[in-house]
Amino acid sequence: MGQTTFEPKLAVNLGGLMMKNPVTDASGTFAAGREYSDFVDVERMGAVTTKGVSVVPWTGNDSPRIAETPSGMLNSIGLQNPGVEVFKQKDLAWLAGKDVPVIVNACGHSVAEYEGIIEALADDARVGAFEVNISCPNVDAGGLTFGTVPEQAAEVVRVCRAKTSKPLIVKLTPNVTDITEIARAVEAEGADAISLINTLLGMAIDVRTRKPILARVVGGLSGPAVKPVALRMVWQVHNAVKVPLLGMGGIATAEDAIEFMLAGATAVAVGTANFVNPHAVEEVIDGIRAYCIEQGVKDVNELIGGLKA
Amino acid sequence: MQYSTDGRPKPVDEACELVANRQLAGTLWDMELRAPQIAARILPGQFVHMKIPGMDGRILRRPFSVYAADAQAGTLRILYQVVGKGSAHMTTLAPGRVDDIDVMGPMGNPWWLPEGAQRVLFVVGGVGAAPLAMFGEQLRQAGVGLDVCMGAQTADALVMKEHYERVVGVEPICATDDGTFGHAGFVTGPAGDLLQGGGYDLVCCCGPEPLMRIVAGMALEAGVACEVSLEKRMACGIGACLSCVVDTVDGRKRSCVDGPVFDAGKVVW
Repeated sequence: MGQTTFEPKLAVNLGGLMMKNPVTDASGTFAAGREYSDFVDVERMGAVTTKGVSVVPWTGNDSPRIAETPSGMLNSIGLQNPGVEVFKQKDLAWLAGKDVPVIVNACGHSVAEYEGIIEALADDARVGAFEVNISCPNVDAGGLTFGTVPEQAAEVVRVCRAKTSKPLIVKLTPNVTDITEIARAVEAEGADAISLINTLLGMAIDVRTRKPILARVVGGLSGPAVKPVALRMVWQVHNAVKVPLLGMGGIATAEDAIEFMLAGATAVAVGTANFVNPHAVEEVIDGIRAYCIEQGVKDVNELIGGLKA
Repeated sequence: MQYSTDGRPKPVDEACELVANRQLAGTLWDMELRAPQIAARILPGQFVHMKIPGMDGRILRRPFSVYAADAQAGTLRILYQVVGKGSAHMTTLAPGRVDDIDVMGPMGNPWWLPEGAQRVLFVVGGVGAAPLAMFGEQLRQAGVGLDVCMGAQTADALVMKEHYERVVGVEPICATDDGTFGHAGFVTGPAGDLLQGGGYDLVCCCGPEPLMRIVAGMALEAGVACEVSLEKRMACGIGACLSCVVDTVDGRKRSCVDGPVFDAGKVVW
């Protein structure tokens, strides 16, 4: 082991959100941190990204909600959450005393609901940034996912942008033909950063019962199985837009995280890996630092988009 | 002992040694793990969340009930049934493996005894005998009366009977589906007879969901409190992912941290 001669700079700026290192959790895998606090020191994280929150409570989908699949899992939780008032009282209150920025994942079933959730939290000092989840079904448009249609995605971002000056991160769904088209549309409406990818739509069947394993038949695929797809999409979007990216999809180790940064991500999120290894987030942070020391990288920002030809 | 924010013993993540792994009968296996930190703090009804080594393509942990914990020896015992590829792989793990089975625990809520309760009835089916065994030990030590109705498909599958007799100190009233031991038919038969006789302050039930639903109904009818342990598909095991929700009169609850032990009267069956 070589002697440590320097301490690498790990801080990054994600569209105005200052993070002490590039690592956060992927929304929905970490609640709002408290559940993991027996295993993780959340103050070490670059940011805590909360589970999706909506204006009113959502009961979520019927069970079974998950299925294990090769190197991954399917989920159809349905964004179950108790609504913004309970979220403020419980989750934001717990996070209030912590020295870590908070990214609130916001969801809605209509443009008005997105507007409502941003409005409800826009003046809350505990909110460091919003991550707008445009993978929700648009009830007004017959359940079509907002994030699959550039005009709809743009409209959601436009109304959210009008309600807040806080950093606005827009989380894209990978279930589209051309993700760069959606990325450009949300950038044009004033998104400060883009996060990707949300889960890939998938399905699993029990051949004994000949029934789908998930009650809702289809669900979102996550875990190491999706990493190559996510990495490809981060690289494509990095080449298509100027705003910084929060990369995610199957990140379980520091090496995975560095791949995303080289492909163009400014920050990264650890998702399903938290379920496998409750220490995953901290191990990724420590591993990025170790990589920087080993590779002589003085500032982690040097890695962003550093992919060589 | 350290306590978590919710007042339960703080869960830990422990690299465990596999002490024993043996087949009991058919698809039923017994695993013993050296997990000193968890063994020292686990309460009856809590579970462990285990990462099975050597199956990288199957990434999720598996929850297992603990039927015996020896704080002095630092060991835990779990009963498991081979139902899929994960549990089939578990049977191939050889004892002596050191530090490569990653176990989180203790997780979830324990069984609880209503204040002043004098007599308790357990109704267990199949591997559902395991999650109640430690509670049985605790009740016996506290001088609380205990009857156990134990059901299984066949006589061979009554693998916890001997443990209840030797360690808990209760001779179970058994029922087998095929009539090869004890009452012929479902365990709800003898359980119903006992409940009708009266005198119970609490019924605890664990087994297949139809059994728990029926026993919960019988207890409600008899006016006796009833607790059940509900197993749902889990991912995180610590309350974050909302995979394992149970419908209750108070809304959807997480079986990992709001359960796995629930007041049966609150469960929407």
